[in-house]
Amino acid sequence: MINATKKWIFLKISGAILVPLMLWFIINLIGIYDKEYTDVLNFFSNSTSKFLFSLFIINSYFFSALSISEVFEDYVGNDKIKNVANKLLYASAVVIPLITIILISKL
Amino acid sequence: MENKNPLSPHIQVYRWHISSLVSISHRITGIINIAIITLVCLWVSLLLLGETKYEIINSLLNSVIGKFIILSVTWSFSFQVLSEIRHLIMDFGYGFELKTSKITGLIVIFGSIILTVSFYLIGKNFI
Repeated sequence: MINATKKWIFLKISGAILVPLMLWFIINLIGIYDKEYTDVLNFFSNSTSKFLFSLFIINSYFFSALSISEVFEDYVGNDKIKNVANKLLYASAVVIPLITIILISKL
Repeated sequence: MENKNPLSPHIQVYRWHISSLVSISHRITGIINIAIITLVCLWVSLLLLGETKYEIINSLLNSVIGKFIILSVTWSFSFQVLSEIRHLIMDFGYGFELKTSKITGLIVIFGSIILTVSFYLIGKNFI
């Protein structure tokens, strides 16, 4: 299997997983965004919320990194710029969720 | 080595159709959504700083601007969800006929508005 096929399969699987996680996230975000500090803290301290939120951000960044690299492939002609952009994209897709998960584990 | 792969034709070359509008909007909302998720990560991380510091962000979220932002975020996510489902259905080989593609495109556009209102009501009343 060539890399482009693997990438397409990963993109489709993560896209399918993202749909229910996005529904869970947006409904809960609307429910808590304007609440007091303790309510928001209680929500993110709950182990189910922590688990689903962690899964949501890991999957979102994974899906976005693959999708945005497709945009670079379609619209960026210069290979050097494309490679740097892709490296920054993949690095941020690992670093941001990792830091967030470490921080919410302390809540 | 020079990359010989062709780039996508410039978007102004083609006449706009519902399917092209949904396709480009899918990409734009995808990029907006990941920016929003990054801000949400920052918002959740701010909880560690304590209640006093959190008040600044809380007052912004409770303002009219905050509500407008949340509604826009809800629409962007709703659009992405419906458009992703449309893409997944197309990946199974369905919905490529011009008429079907136009109808599903319209479902994504108008459905995202209906979903935004529904999500807002569900989130506000049941969470």
